[in-house]
Amino acid sequence: MGSSQSTSEEVRELVGKTGFSSDQIEQLHRRFKQLSGNQLTIRKENFNNIPDLELNPIRSKIIRAFFDNRNLRKAPTGLADEINFEDFLTIMSYFRPIETNMDEEQLEHCRKEKLRFLFHMYDSDSDGRITLEEYRNVVEELLSGNPHIEKESARSIADGAMMEAASVCVGQMHPEWSGEVFQLRKAYVCVF
Amino acid sequence: MFLLLPFNSLIVNLLGISLTVLFTLLLVFIIVPAIFGVSFGIRKLYMKTLLKIFAWATLRMERGAKEKNHQLYKPYTNGIIAKDPTSLEEEIKEIRKSGSNKALDTPEFELSDIFYFCRKGMETIMDDEVTKRFSAEELESWNLLSRTNYNFQYISLRLTVLWGLGVLIRYCFLLPLRIALAFTGVSLLVVGTTMVGYLPNGRFKEFMSKHVHLMCYRICVRALTAIITYHDRENRPRNGGICVANHTSPIDVIILASDGYYAMVGQIHGGLMGVIQKAMVKACPHVWFERSEVKDRHLVAERLTEHVQDKSKLPILIFPEGTCINNTSVMMFKKGSFEIGATVYPVAIKYDPQFGDAFWNSSKYGMVTYLLRMMTSWAIVCSVWYLPPMTREANEDAVHFANRVKSAIARQGGLVDLLWDGGLKREKVKDTFKEEQQKLYSKMIVGNHEDRSRS
Repeated sequence: MGSSQSTSEEVRELVGKTGFSSDQIEQLHRRFKQLSGNQLTIRKENFNNIPDLELNPIRSKIIRAFFDNRNLRKAPTGLADEINFEDFLTIMSYFRPIETNMDEEQLEHCRKEKLRFLFHMYDSDSDGRITLEEYRNVVEELLSGNPHIEKESARSIADGAMMEAASVCVGQMHPEWSGEVFQLRKAYVCVF
Repeated sequence: MFLLLPFNSLIVNLLGISLTVLFTLLLVFIIVPAIFGVSFGIRKLYMKTLLKIFAWATLRMERGAKEKNHQLYKPYTNGIIAKDPTSLEEEIKEIRKSGSNKALDTPEFELSDIFYFCRKGMETIMDDEVTKRFSAEELESWNLLSRTNYNFQYISLRLTVLWGLGVLIRYCFLLPLRIALAFTGVSLLVVGTTMVGYLPNGRFKEFMSKHVHLMCYRICVRALTAIITYHDRENRPRNGGICVANHTSPIDVIILASDGYYAMVGQIHGGLMGVIQKAMVKACPHVWFERSEVKDRHLVAERLTEHVQDKSKLPILIFPEGTCINNTSVMMFKKGSFEIGATVYPVAIKYDPQFGDAFWNSSKYGMVTYLLRMMTSWAIVCSVWYLPPMTREANEDAVHFANRVKSAIARQGGLVDLLWDGGLKREKVKDTFKEEQQKLYSKMIVGNHEDRSRS
């Protein structure tokens, strides 16, 4: 990125929208160009070039999260075919640390956004609910590398955990009932 | 037209005289020292002068940048991720601890477990250790080569003039000189080794062969204006051993072979390379493979073992990484050469990128383009460390031995020691690696599950 007028204005816009600093945006732009092969958009195939990502058991869900219209704030369902740099930054901004100068309202909003991102990762059919099937799907993916675990044991682990979660909150899990989902809420505060 | 005649002969005379002078200078100052292995110190003086000029140029740029309030140096690239070096188990335990009010070991799987993998995934998408090893290193100061100019822009007229002068010197003076030297060196090699090949086998032939090889490599070194500093020369490889080194470019061969007499290993190429290879093998037993033989690993191992077992034969020169890396790290060594069982002499080569980046990005540049780039840089400056010999221990397997040698080389050269395979430049990750993380995680969960069902 050079020092011409139009690009620095774009950078300022992005700083406002996503909350990254201009240095970070420049660095992420370099990474974006590297991933996209100097194109303006990234497709799913571009993520296949990252060797470290291949080790991650939920890589398909992570990659999918980049193209999820709910995370991109474009539509309530569906997947985008390709994303541009602004979309890339939008997804990355979910992982920004909580700033110390935020007030209660901003803090609450920030946490909800992060929670929602992870909820979308479980809820693959975008119906706003995590069903037992979707839950099992995640557990199976996480345990998929181990050839000694059969599908049956993976299922029973998932079912067991689902019962635990269900006993804490009523019925299916819904992000609006954040007051009752103790596990999820308290857990992520430490991570982020 | 008649008026041109006296000028014509004058020009021809001048041309003739200057060429003669040039060739005499070439002979006296470059080729003769190469033959005898001595040095006038011209290259070191050249390097010192260049450094002074670069320092001045960078100072001017910094001053100019400050005046215009423009940021000169890019921020440190590791700043965007707040990395936490804890293991998978520790992190998941911590997440669970903060999540539930129950005891640590009761739930087998929690919704929150996904957080760890999600975060790790994001970290690698933002920045990963492997991909950045396959592009040239970025410099912090400008060395007046426009090809390394990422951050620095037009600052002043004086600097541009200096840069222009640099281009003139490099392309019009240094380049023809270097090409002439390279041509001399290569043709002397071919002619010399062919002639030595006609001698009867014996001590004299060996002596002549060694000196012909050394002389020609030294001329090639000067053709690239390579300024090499050798350390610990008492550890140089001996007969019957294998010399392994980290690989940055094809020039590595010239650098090592100009200080020692090695048997090369490689595939027979066509064209000029093939001619050189065939000539070389007449004078001394190098190990060249046909293209079809290269695929057969047993055959390769057999021939190498055969060569190594004969203690009178020369040390073999091998680059176990298998591909060119950009000289900031050392990647996985292929275990083939470590299975043979000979003494291994590790060598670390570290280039100084300030004078010219020697890394060959074979997907970006072909061989000829690469050589031209090398010959139009200021110089190739590098350090070579000969490390003490290593042998495989009784209960050690080849992979472990290879890693041990690799760490020694990385430590000496100040390079990052990576477990990753250099082949990732072109191929994908092997499935066996993918399963490691998943196995670790599932062990954690299933372990708990089994304990529970038992109690």
